[in-house]
Amino acid sequence: MAPAGIAIAAWGLVTGVAMVKGGLSVPMALAMTIVVFAGSAQLAVLPLLVSGAPLPIVWATALLVNLRFVIFAAATRSYFSGLPWKQRLFSSYLNGDVGFALFSGRFGNASERGNPYQWGFFYGVATVNWLSWQASSVAGILLAGLAPTDWGLELAAVLALVAVLVPMVRRLPAVLGMIVTGVLAVATVRMPLKLGLVVSVLAGVLVAVLLEPADSSAAVEKQPTQ
Amino acid sequence: MNATSHWGYMSLAMVGLALTTVITRGSFFMLPSSVTLPSRLERALRYAPACALTAIVAPGVFTRHGSLFLSVHNNQMWAVLIAAGVFALKRNMMLMMAVGMAAFTLLRLFA
Repeated sequence: MAPAGIAIAAWGLVTGVAMVKGGLSVPMALAMTIVVFAGSAQLAVLPLLVSGAPLPIVWATALLVNLRFVIFAAATRSYFSGLPWKQRLFSSYLNGDVGFALFSGRFGNASERGNPYQWGFFYGVATVNWLSWQASSVAGILLAGLAPTDWGLELAAVLALVAVLVPMVRRLPAVLGMIVTGVLAVATVRMPLKLGLVVSVLAGVLVAVLLEPADSSAAVEKQPTQ
Repeated sequence: MNATSHWGYMSLAMVGLALTTVITRGSFFMLPSSVTLPSRLERALRYAPACALTAIVAPGVFTRHGSLFLSVHNNQMWAVLIAAGVFALKRNMMLMMAVGMAAFTLLRLFA
């Protein structure tokens, strides 16, 4: 947990700085980090918010980036199915990249699913994750105003997303899907209402799925990012 | 002055963004256990985040004012490519950020 905690804090700090340098006011950035609590989605929608993109496009982008959580939820639901619904909802909210990665690394093959020891582990990890993420994000947001604008810190948001993207460049279908998406996103950059974004993502996902070998559904890849 | 100073727009944006977190993370925790994730859909879901992030990053890096900008003078592009290379090799976020920022600054000052 300690190395993970440091990694979370580094990522939170960068996200906090990037949100303010990317154009959000300090109160808005604070609201975003506390309410949204999903770093990659926050950084992804940042340029859209600054350019005043239509809200459905903003939401759709965040939804696409967050879709990995649906896979996490499907993979870990059986550990939490014995809990009352309010506690399940609360647990699911904490089931982000770090919580999921550490929990399934520890209990992914457990024969008994859903005991108090597993829940204790989950809440412990989730609490450390939440605290280090929020504290470092808030620190980044407040410190961003002190840094001179000519440090090129606007670049921080792009670089932070690069850190998420690079580990995803692994298997051929994913790589080709990303290339198709990237080329189309550049080609359609003048399309109104940022519709090119949606078109290029759909095309990229379609290409990746079609290129996948038929038997690869067994090798489900988890992509712990943040 | 940009769109982020419109209070109504930003508030609505935040509510929707928070909902995307709750809905995706809550999905299968809240659905009845009889509902499962079909493997075909799961495979599509696996690629969506990578493609969505690519669609955001690529135009910012490779275009300027709505046109392709593959030039030696595209400092941001070179800085991002160098930083991505460093991250691919070292997997160290702080190092990657530092190299990316330094490359950008040096290119801007001297190139």
